[in-house]
Amino acid sequence: MRITGHHAVPFPVEKVWDALLDPAVLVRTIPGCERLESTGEHTYAMTVSAGVAAVRGTYDGTCSLSDLVPHESLVMRLQGAGAPGTIDATVRVSFSQVDAALTTVAYDADATVGGMVGGVGQRMLASVSKRTAGEFFDNVSGAIGGAGTAPVAAATEAAVGRVFTAPPRPPSSQQDFLRGIAVGAGLVLLGVLLGSRFGRRR
Amino acid sequence: MTTKLFGQKIQRVEDQRFLRGDGRYVDDIGVGQDVLHAAVLRSPHAHARIVDIDVSGVLDLEGVHLVWTHDDLTGPMADPLPLLIPHPALTHGRTQFALARDEVNHVGEAIAFVVADDRYVAEDAVASIRVEYDLLPPVVGIDAAREASRLVHDDVPGNLAARLEQENGDARAAIAASPHTLSLDLTVERSASMPLEGRGTVARWDPDVGRMTVWTSTQTSTGVRAAVAAKLGLDLGQVDVVTPDVGGGFGVKINHPWPEELLVPLAARTVGRIVKFTEDRREHFISSAHERGQVHHVEVGYDDDGRVLGLDVTFWHDNGAYIPYGLIVPIITSTQLLGPYKPGAYRVVFESLYTNTVMVTPYRGAGRPQGCYVMERTLDAIADALGQDRTDVRAANFIQPDEFPFDQGLIFQDGRELEYDSGDYPASLAKLKDLIGWDEFPRFREEMAAEGRRVGIGLACYVEGTGVGPYEGAHVHVETSGKVKVATGLTTQGQGHATVFAQIAADVLGCRFEDVEVVTGDTRRMPYAVGTFASRAAVMSGSAVHLAATRAREKALRIAADALEASPDDLEIVEGVVSVRGTDTSIDLGTVAVLSNPLRYAFDEASKAATQFSVGDPGKPPVAEDDEPGLEGRDFYSPERSTFASGMHAVIVETDPDTAEITILKYAVVHDCGPLINPMIVEGQIQGGVAQGVAGALLERMAYDESGQLLNASFMDFLMPYVTEVPARIDIDHLETPSPLNPLGIKGAGEAGVIPSAAVFASAISDAEGFPITAMPISPSDLFDLRERRKETR
Repeated sequence: MRITGHHAVPFPVEKVWDALLDPAVLVRTIPGCERLESTGEHTYAMTVSAGVAAVRGTYDGTCSLSDLVPHESLVMRLQGAGAPGTIDATVRVSFSQVDAALTTVAYDADATVGGMVGGVGQRMLASVSKRTAGEFFDNVSGAIGGAGTAPVAAATEAAVGRVFTAPPRPPSSQQDFLRGIAVGAGLVLLGVLLGSRFGRRR
Repeated sequence: MTTKLFGQKIQRVEDQRFLRGDGRYVDDIGVGQDVLHAAVLRSPHAHARIVDIDVSGVLDLEGVHLVWTHDDLTGPMADPLPLLIPHPALTHGRTQFALARDEVNHVGEAIAFVVADDRYVAEDAVASIRVEYDLLPPVVGIDAAREASRLVHDDVPGNLAARLEQENGDARAAIAASPHTLSLDLTVERSASMPLEGRGTVARWDPDVGRMTVWTSTQTSTGVRAAVAAKLGLDLGQVDVVTPDVGGGFGVKINHPWPEELLVPLAARTVGRIVKFTEDRREHFISSAHERGQVHHVEVGYDDDGRVLGLDVTFWHDNGAYIPYGLIVPIITSTQLLGPYKPGAYRVVFESLYTNTVMVTPYRGAGRPQGCYVMERTLDAIADALGQDRTDVRAANFIQPDEFPFDQGLIFQDGRELEYDSGDYPASLAKLKDLIGWDEFPRFREEMAAEGRRVGIGLACYVEGTGVGPYEGAHVHVETSGKVKVATGLTTQGQGHATVFAQIAADVLGCRFEDVEVVTGDTRRMPYAVGTFASRAAVMSGSAVHLAATRAREKALRIAADALEASPDDLEIVEGVVSVRGTDTSIDLGTVAVLSNPLRYAFDEASKAATQFSVGDPGKPPVAEDDEPGLEGRDFYSPERSTFASGMHAVIVETDPDTAEITILKYAVVHDCGPLINPMIVEGQIQGGVAQGVAGALLERMAYDESGQLLNASFMDFLMPYVTEVPARIDIDHLETPSPLNPLGIKGAGEAGVIPSAAVFASAISDAEGFPITAMPISPSDLFDLRERRKETR
């Protein structure tokens, strides 16, 4: 299936690019992301908990980035599998600076969703993934704005084996997340993916 | 024979149980006992090599008893599952393994098998198995299969399982010489049987006596029994297969053995406990079987009267990833396409193609709906081209009543000649036109048009080969109580066998209907049987029950004649009492049963009459050389060939000019299955068939994406009809043209209702819209899009 969309982030492109490539940020902003580990150059392993309609569970996945054009575009390849299903996706992401304070991030994902989530949740996937993506970008905006997060900048030493885990989330955000799931939520991975594709800084 | 019960609307004896919740299905077996539960890991990918399966740690989970992959299977269990129906044209038959060995070929293919204390633990265990796949490009849909740039099986070039051609006359020459010709392309999408009870198997191994009992939701107990014995290395005599109540089969459960039908007994023997597998709905969508998906190309030549001079049909059959049931479905399409017609010459070619989707096995109708649709669409196109009434074109092509038996010059699905035994198609058409109001329709259309409403009328005719061989048997046992036990080996999935077989037995024996108890699908009671498919149960087992009951009756009369010192010719049996006609000298059937079994030991008052100092001629052995003890009859019915039922449906539909909603205004059926054993049950079969046909024509389809994921694998997205989608009333009329091939003259009725649905709705919607419908099923959205496209091309 094909999922496309774009989001406006109210920061300059450099800041957005940096934030989206910082695993320490991503692990906190990707809905349902519990763990993010650098496994090699441009590759990550991650654990994400998500649900689409009644199909919920935890997915283990990998993410690799290629064709990085700083501040312009990248390609992310994602694979994930868990009890509820599998995802295999190629996501093309492009950044465009609207003005000094606004960046548009567009994504074009070609995803194969398999297993139970593919058969039972398919009709909700597109809307759920868009919703999750929206939630993710809102979180990123918050992170760049420094709303109670760790420094966004310097995770340059994203060394192999370094593990990032999500801090306990405040009840409200947890609630939002659960609500998101309940609606049909989790894109399992797209959001994830969306997020994780940014998980490497260059 | 008396025909007291035959032909009567006897209420189904099984309904009391079903309506009170006393039905007993496979999942009810073992409830309250110490049963273990199985779950299956299934492929999430349509096409992949299995690089590694990691089951480490699974057995550490509390409550898990067993986890198997293909590596754990040995001997025949490690081989591919059987190819049930080989055919010379099936040059590249492939079947799955009980658990995938190194490759998966459709989403849902079984990979690993877990047995645990309960289903929850079993599913958790399945979830903890890690499989590493090397993804392969999938082949989805007939176009991709034909293009063959990707292969489902590396060793099957062109994805071609089989190519079969049959010809009667020289069709191409006949078309070339015809005054008119037409070409059509016609498609039918996939659907599935979708019984409300999915597959299920329970097994118990008794190590003390070395015996396996398997309860399974199948359409063939004897088939499963043979497969379990062969795969588990047991003697046939060590395996009993019992089919309890079955919550719908519709074809899918004739395929066997399913992986779980072997793995469950094997696990029961391995762990020494009762093991149960119950398929869930999603599993049924992705790991059972589908049908119907075919693409057809028609070339036809005809004369000024619409008479078909030459018909040349090529079609492509999507058989899915595996082909255990052989070529039955496309063979049926290719032969039954002819319906009640006699084209001057006919040629048919089909290719059966592999795709990375769920495999195809027969679904009620079994290729006939597609064949009927192709033929009827063709005749509609001819009528349209000639500007003739569609019923006139049918009439011009009918086989006439005096032409039976009529040999179509082809080989049918049972390997026998496609020779129709009887029928009266012109009479059926006359009845149908009356029933639907064909001649009055133009006026109705005008009235509707005046109100801004759009209506159309359609009809479709079919012939259905029913009662295919090789045989069925029956055993009739009159007990000393006078109760009669009837056993036949084929299974029951709601057809009312307990009622109709009791009608037949009671008529023959002269016993009371209430005293007859029918058992089906239990290999302990009748170990020789074939199965319930192809509308064959009434014809095959009904005839066998008739023959077996006749033997029991003959024996009863012989013994009673002896006891009453009368001639057997002077006896009659009424209400379970044998009496000398015109006298009050009589003996109960139960007493005859007592006398039939010479005893040494009495066990009650009645049996004293049969002990050694009471009966017998001292000069003869107590059981004569050519006789056997007991009042029983056993016989088998094996016909030379199938018997051919027929019918015609007509429908009036309304299509909304704005929303393209399709509404059924009137539905009429004329049906000829020979003499009706029980008209109420036949009408029920027709009603159910029409409901399923409406579903197949207007609602149901399997939505695969290009990666081979089935997107609508639940009842949220796969549309089953509610009662609101099924015609509230179906007008039914019967014709009874007896078959000369069996003692009761009967023909099958089980599939009839569903066969002409795609054809009749396509005809009516085309009539309403003024352009031909060439792809079925059709939803309001499809119709809306067709209208839009036609606007654009104008």
